Amino acid sequence: MLFELLDLLRQGGAQTYAALARQLDISEALLEGMLADLERMGYLRQVGGGCAGHCHGCTMAGTCAIGAGGRIWALTEKGARAAS
Amino acid sequence: MDEQRVITVALAGQPNVGKSSVFNTLTGLNQHVGNWPGKTVEQRTGTFAYNGVTYRLVDLPGTYSLTANSLEEVIAREYIIRERPDVVAVILSAPVLERNLYLVAELLGLEAPLVVGLNMVDVAEQEGMRIEPRVLEAAMGIPVVPMTATKGLGIQELVRAVDEVAHGRTPQQPQRPEIRRDHQEVLDQLLALIGARAPEGYPAQWVALKLLEGDGEISALMSQRIPAEEWAAVSRILLEHEDAVIAVAGGRYEWVARMVRAAVVRPRAGQITLTSQLDRIATHPFWGLLVLAGILGVVFWLTYTVGAPLQEWLQVTVVGGLGQLITSALAGGPRWLTALLVDGVLGGAGTVITFLPILAIFFATLGLLEDVGYMARAAYVMDRFMHLMGMHGKSFLPLFLGFGCNVSSVVGARVIESPRARLLTVLISPLVPCTGRMAVVTFLAPLFFGRGALAVTWGLVAINLVALAVLGVVLSKTLLRGEQVAFIMEMPLYHLPNPRTIAIQVWQRVGEFLHKAGTMILLVSVLIWLLGAVPTGEIQTSLLAAIGRGLEPVGRLMGLDWRMMLALLSSFAAKENSLATLGVLFGAGDSAGSLGSVLQAAIGARAAWAFLVVQMLFVPCVATVAAMRQETRSWGWTLAGVVLLLVLSLLGGTAAYQIAGLL
Repeated sequence: MLFELLDLLRQGGAQTYAALARQLDISEALLEGMLADLERMGYLRQVGGGCAGHCHGCTMAGTCAIGAGGRIWALTEKGARAAS
Repeated sequence: MDEQRVITVALAGQPNVGKSSVFNTLTGLNQHVGNWPGKTVEQRTGTFAYNGVTYRLVDLPGTYSLTANSLEEVIAREYIIRERPDVVAVILSAPVLERNLYLVAELLGLEAPLVVGLNMVDVAEQEGMRIEPRVLEAAMGIPVVPMTATKGLGIQELVRAVDEVAHGRTPQQPQRPEIRRDHQEVLDQLLALIGARAPEGYPAQWVALKLLEGDGEISALMSQRIPAEEWAAVSRILLEHEDAVIAVAGGRYEWVARMVRAAVVRPRAGQITLTSQLDRIATHPFWGLLVLAGILGVVFWLTYTVGAPLQEWLQVTVVGGLGQLITSALAGGPRWLTALLVDGVLGGAGTVITFLPILAIFFATLGLLEDVGYMARAAYVMDRFMHLMGMHGKSFLPLFLGFGCNVSSVVGARVIESPRARLLTVLISPLVPCTGRMAVVTFLAPLFFGRGALAVTWGLVAINLVALAVLGVVLSKTLLRGEQVAFIMEMPLYHLPNPRTIAIQVWQRVGEFLHKAGTMILLVSVLIWLLGAVPTGEIQTSLLAAIGRGLEPVGRLMGLDWRMMLALLSSFAAKENSLATLGVLFGAGDSAGSLGSVLQAAIGARAAWAFLVVQMLFVPCVATVAAMRQETRSWGWTLAGVVLLLVLSLLGGTAAYQIAGLL
C-alpha cells in the first residue's frame, strides 16, 4: 500500500488528500496515518506552513497563499529514490 | 477445572481509546500502581473475578504501533513476548478505527491470543459510520466485541470473550498481514538465516519482519545470537533492501484497508461533508479554474466600483488640496522648495498613497479568501492549470504564493527538493501577478477602458499566466528533463471567516504599505523630481529627459514616450513607483486636475494597453531580485532571470501595441 502511494507520487504534480485516498481506495484518515509513517521513515517531509517573515520590502509581506492550516508534504531524496 | 489458576490478560490500545475506563470498570479498587521493571513508566495492574476464576489485568502503555520508536512501545511488545499473557485484549476506538487497526496488525505478528474490544461504537454511529462487528471478526479471524465503555456497555461481553479464548473455547484463526509479494523472497532468505536462533517467545517471522523494518532493538538482539559470518550475510541483505520497511508497513496498511473495506459502511452520500462537496467544484480541473476566474472578477469589480472612485477623490481633493495649500503657504519662499514638495513629494509619494483604498480592498479580499480556506484550492487549481499547459509530473506549488508578493514564491521555492526545479521556479515566479503590479493596473485600466476595464484586467492576468506556463514548459523541457516534483496537499476545512483576523491582517499590510510609501517610494519620487529639475529647472531639458530620450527608440515600438519608459524603469525599485513617476512627470501634485485626466489627455488607450502589458511582464522589483540572488546563490542566474523577463516584457509590449494597431 505504501509503495502504491509512492507510485502515485512518482507521477509528480500536486495531489490532494482526497484524490490520493480515492485512487488507493482508502479513507483520508488512513492516508494521514500512512503519510505520518512515511515521514517517520524519512521518505516524506512536511513543507507546508507558510512563508511569513521572508517577504521584506513588499506590501504583502507575511501573506501566504497556502498557509491556511493545510499541511503540505514533499518527497525527500530517499523518497524520490524509492518512488522511482 | 483450573479454578486456582490466575489468568493474565494484557490490555493494549492506542492512547485515548477508553482503555483506562475498561481497566477501572473491571478492577475497581483492586488496583496496584507501580513502575515497569527498570523503567520510569507507570504500570497499572489489577484483578477481577469471572466465573470463579481470578483474572490479573495488566494495563500496557498506550501505543500507536509496536516499533521501537518509544519506550512505551518497547515495554508493550516486550511484555507480550516475554511474559506471554494468556490473552491480549486490544481496545479500539470505533470512530478512528483505521488508525487503531494498525496496532492490531502489529499484535497479530506477535502470535498472542487476541480479543478486540471495539469501543465508542455509539460515537461512530453518531458520525454516520456503521461498523459490522461480525464481519470484522470474520475478516480478522479473532473475536470482536462492540462496546461503549463509558456507559459500561459491552464490558461483560468482552470478559466473556476473553474467558472463552483463555480456555481455548474460541479457536483463533487470525488472518495476518502479508508482506508485499515482491519482498516475500527476501523475507524467506532472512528466515532461513535466522533459523531457530530467535530467542524463546520471539516468533521467527516477526523477528525477520522487524529486521527488515530496521528495528534497532531487534538488530542488536539478533547480532548477539547469530555467528558473525551469518550476521554479515543478514546485514548485506538488509542493506540491499533498505526500502523493505515500506513493503512491511505497507503490507499492514493493505491489511487495514481490507478490514475496513469489509466491515465499515461509509457515511451515505448525503452526509458527505460540506468541504468535500465544495471541493468537488473548487478543485475540479475545469470548474475550479472558472471559480478562480470568477473570484478574481469579483475582486476586480469591487476594486473598480468602490476603490477607484475613492482613489480619485483622494487624488483631487486631498493631494490637490494639499498642493494648493503648500503653494499658497510658501508663496514668498524659494520656488524650488514649492516644486519639490508639490511635484516631487505630493505628486510621487502622495499619488501612491491615494491607492490605499484600492489596496485595502485587495488585502481584505485576499485575507478573506485565505481565512475561509480558499487560497490552498487556488494554489492547487493553478498547479493543475500548469499541468494542462503541458508540465506533466512537475509541481510549482510555491509559485502561487506569489499572488501576494513575488518574494514569497521565490523564497517558498526552498521547499522544492530538486535544485533544478527550484531554480526554474525562482526564474519564472516574477510572472505571477503581485499586488504591486495589480495596483498599477487597477489605476490605469478603468481610466482608459471604462467599462471594459474588468475584461482588460482579466486579459492581463491571463497573459501573465499563459506566459508563465509557456516559459515554464520551455524551461522545464530543457532544464528539468526527466525530473518529477510532487506535493501532497491537505485542503484545510472551509470555515466562516473571522473578521478580527482579517482586520488585523489588513491593518498590518496597510501599515507596511504606508511605511514603504514614506521611505522607498518617497525617495524615488524626490530623486525623479531632482533629475527632472537639473540642470536647467525645466523638465524638457533636464538630465531625466536625456535619460528618458535614450530609451525612446525602444519605447517607440510600444508607443511609449520617454516619460512612460521612465515610469517602467522606476518600477524596478518598487512596482508602485510607476505611479509615483507618472505623478511627478505628469504633474499630479498640481491642482490642474486628477492624474487620470492628465494621463488620458497625454496618452492613448493603445499605448496604455501596451504599457500595462509590459508592466505586468517586466523585471521584478529589487526586493524580488535580491531574493532571487539569495535563493539561487548565483549572480549569473539572477541576471539571466532579469534579462529573460526584460526581453519577454519588451516583446510582449511590442506585440500588444502592434496587434492593437491592427484592430
